[in-house]
Amino acid sequence: MWSTVKRAPPSTHSAPGARLGLPGLALLLLGIAGCGGAAPTQSLTETLTISAFSVVREPYDRAILPAFTRWYREKTGTTVEVEASYGASGAQSRAVVEGFEADVVVFSMSDDVERLRRAGLIRHDPEAGPHGGLVSHSVVAFAVRAGNPKGIHDWVDLTRDDVTVLTANPSTSGGAIWNIAALFGAASREPTRSLSGGASPAELLRRVLRRVEIMDRSGRDSVQTFERGMGDVVLTYENEILVGQRAGQTYEQVTPRSTLRIDNPGALVDVYVDQHGRRAVAEAFLAFLQTPEAQRAFATYGLRPIDPGVARETQGRVAPVADLFTIRDLGGFSKVKAQLFSPTGIYTHAIEEAHAK
Amino acid sequence: MASPSGSVAGSGGGSIVVVWSATDSGAIPTSAPPRLLAPSERPSPRPRAGARTWQRWVGRAFVLGVPLAYLAVLLVGPLLAVVAGAFADGAGAFLGAVTSRWALHGFAMTALMSGVAIVFNTVFGVAIAWTICRDRFPGRAALGGLVDLPFAVSPVVVGLMAMLLFGRQGWFGPALAARGIRVLFAWPAMALVTTFVSLPCVVREVTPVLEAIGVNEEEAARTLGASRAQTFWRVVLPNIRWGILYGIALTAARTLGEFGGVLLVSGGLAGKTETATLVIYRHLEERQDQAAQAIAVVLAMASILLLLAMELLKTKRDRDLDSAGRTR
Amino acid sequence: MTPPTSTFVVTPGGASVGGSQSARPGSEPRRRPRSTEPRLGRLVVRSMVVIYLGLFIALPVGAVVRMGFRKGLSAFGAAIVNPDTLSALGLTVQTSLAMALINAVMGTWIAYVLARVPFPGRRLVNALIDLPFAIPTLVTGVMLVVLFGPQSGVGIWFDGHHLRLMYARPGIVLALLFVTLPFVVRAVQPLLLDLDTGQEEAAAILGASPWRIFRQIILPSLWPGIRTGTLLSFSRALGEFGSIVIVSGNIPRRTLTAAVLIYGEIESGHPEAAAAVSTLLLALAFTLIVVVESFHRKAQAGHGIA
Repeated sequence: MWSTVKRAPPSTHSAPGARLGLPGLALLLLGIAGCGGAAPTQSLTETLTISAFSVVREPYDRAILPAFTRWYREKTGTTVEVEASYGASGAQSRAVVEGFEADVVVFSMSDDVERLRRAGLIRHDPEAGPHGGLVSHSVVAFAVRAGNPKGIHDWVDLTRDDVTVLTANPSTSGGAIWNIAALFGAASREPTRSLSGGASPAELLRRVLRRVEIMDRSGRDSVQTFERGMGDVVLTYENEILVGQRAGQTYEQVTPRSTLRIDNPGALVDVYVDQHGRRAVAEAFLAFLQTPEAQRAFATYGLRPIDPGVARETQGRVAPVADLFTIRDLGGFSKVKAQLFSPTGIYTHAIEEAHAK
Repeated sequence: MASPSGSVAGSGGGSIVVVWSATDSGAIPTSAPPRLLAPSERPSPRPRAGARTWQRWVGRAFVLGVPLAYLAVLLVGPLLAVVAGAFADGAGAFLGAVTSRWALHGFAMTALMSGVAIVFNTVFGVAIAWTICRDRFPGRAALGGLVDLPFAVSPVVVGLMAMLLFGRQGWFGPALAARGIRVLFAWPAMALVTTFVSLPCVVREVTPVLEAIGVNEEEAARTLGASRAQTFWRVVLPNIRWGILYGIALTAARTLGEFGGVLLVSGGLAGKTETATLVIYRHLEERQDQAAQAIAVVLAMASILLLLAMELLKTKRDRDLDSAGRTR
Repeated sequence: MTPPTSTFVVTPGGASVGGSQSARPGSEPRRRPRSTEPRLGRLVVRSMVVIYLGLFIALPVGAVVRMGFRKGLSAFGAAIVNPDTLSALGLTVQTSLAMALINAVMGTWIAYVLARVPFPGRRLVNALIDLPFAIPTLVTGVMLVVLFGPQSGVGIWFDGHHLRLMYARPGIVLALLFVTLPFVVRAVQPLLLDLDTGQEEAAAILGASPWRIFRQIILPSLWPGIRTGTLLSFSRALGEFGSIVIVSGNIPRRTLTAAVLIYGEIESGHPEAAAAVSTLLLALAFTLIVVVESFHRKAQAGHGIA
């Protein structure tokens, strides 16, 4: 009854027009007919499975994946169908560990990739590639209502009693972890420190968390809750704000003076790639992500390219940041995660105290 | 029948004492004749016709108005909001959204999930109903409780169950993966989840019919020499067919809207492992509210049709129950 | 007067309520059905059933329970007896209870109106009652937020009065009310329809007000249906996820329900904690089912049915 590994029918990812979805029966027959787990027979079509975080849905679906399909066909003559799954970064990462057979993963933070390495799914050092395994950048920013009626300009404004803050839930969302880490990091830097009256990072965190009303599962959900009228400000990726604005949303971006650079890694999942026999395609995809064409596509959707040339080219599209710090400045991800999110971590305590009744 | 004896014992003065038993529905009350009311207990003279009519109309408006307002706010309002949203960009956009490749694949996937659930739950549902009604063995009562469990289980828990059984570190996951069989994050897990949540539907429909029709006909058939299989196909099945069909319609209705469980185990591959509900979810995430609502409207329409079918089947099923009663 | 039929109410997506069968007027008491099958046939069917249920229900439940206790009894206890979980469980029970009570009243009221008060469009309304079964819970959540959220007229009114509807407890109760709307109505309706209106007419002629008729003649017959419908809607609400995850704020210890808590634990890599809380919910669900079953069986026994 249970199917074997499905072979997707040949088609480009961006097939135009209304195409009749495959009847389930055909899928079933296809699945049963295919042999389990074997390498695909030599054919002119290939499949690639990607697991990505929710916030990059638009750039990938609309620009990167179609461009890659074109590029790959020109290079090799093979048509590749890319199936992509999007969701909260942490949740996606765990799904891969649970058995979602992604060939390539693109996550919000390196920690989610590290989880795969710890589970034995990735057998190489993910940071060994060009740009340390990174694919794109963003920064933590605020989205506020049109006209910024509450006059929110910096982290300290998030502690005001008349301000309601939205963020995603760090237990599932990579974006939320970036938000908290950014707040934490900015707290000990100027000008935030003086503006907050010398409050410790833990105290600032606690004050802000007290103003948080809703914690959605993923970064995207969080922004959409804001769009439905909740809250005065939402903490999110800068590119999320830009994508929303492109879609007609009227919120404005406010970039605090000090904020954290978001580094999004991409990696190949050795175990699944070898199981599917798709290593060549997967490596090509990762290589493609580094090309100027892909990087420009990222820039169009509000991400900051890691390619320095393209970054210079497109720097007019993103807001300048006065004091941009990185996770490395805070001591690296494992240190920050342990400090903030362990059972005795600063965030764990702060959220308890913030909402204690 | 409608519940236990309806003894309307009034307490206090002025109440009417009537006792009847369920077996005598409609029969003349068999208890002691109504006692004589003391003068102080006699009902007061009726108010004048005009005042009473006004009172009655106000009372009636209240009794009718409140639930209708409740339904309007709770049920109709949201429904209209979705329909309005679905057609917000015109009928053309509506049609485009429900015939897009995502939508069509989603409907096909939903149909597949429903189909699998219906097949398994009908076959085993009849068997389970049979066992509950006709078979005697210790623990039979526990079976009934077990069967009803899926209705009360949260979909998240169902998803957790699937992960614990078929995940990479699950009970069966590694063994299946070694044979190249992918269950989790593919349609088999979704089918299992869907079958699980709708398991009780057919059972709970067939059981009372089986109980109602009794064993007389079956025993008669057997004494006349019919084999077990013949008895089942020729005698039992025709008697319970409307119950089965009603159960199937229920299963279909339930599985059309399944979301939480399949969300957890689907893997979210557009065009591959998305049911209609998951397509709705993705459209919402992509800020395509109109498309999401359009598909939701289609699901709702399909369910309304199913509900209408169930109304028809219910009448037939009840007729079966009635006629079963009369053959005694 | 309609001949008595089985009061078996099955609501789409909801459990059935009792399958009692009364004795027909003038009939002999029904014989206890004897197994008419030869041993082997019976054994085959029985094993089929046991294996199916065992595989499908017992096994998954077992897996959850086992995972809950995987790190030992104390870990199981710690997963449940901690402020977040206790608060989530408390919130779940409170909101489900509030919903169940409102549902008991309104559901009965609606059933009464549908059965006794003719009005144009009654059949349509009757058919619409089952609609919540057809709407995916996710869509319910979104619909409610759109209709009653902060950008809607209702939401703005609420905000003006410093009340919060969506993303707060009232919103949760509202979502639960929608999702469980049919339960009580469908449980009570057949009882109402099977009632003999003769009693009511007699009472009306003797001068009793409609309310009194309802309270003293109709209502007592409806208790089993109300009870079962309320219990079912309560147990359904305990596990509700799809709509709550949208309309609630999901803030730990404020608006986080048990199901969403479990979800969060799964997604953040704590399967043992998720399984522990799930075990608790399962136990609760099973208890409720047993209670409903025992009521059903008592009702059956009341009719002399084996």
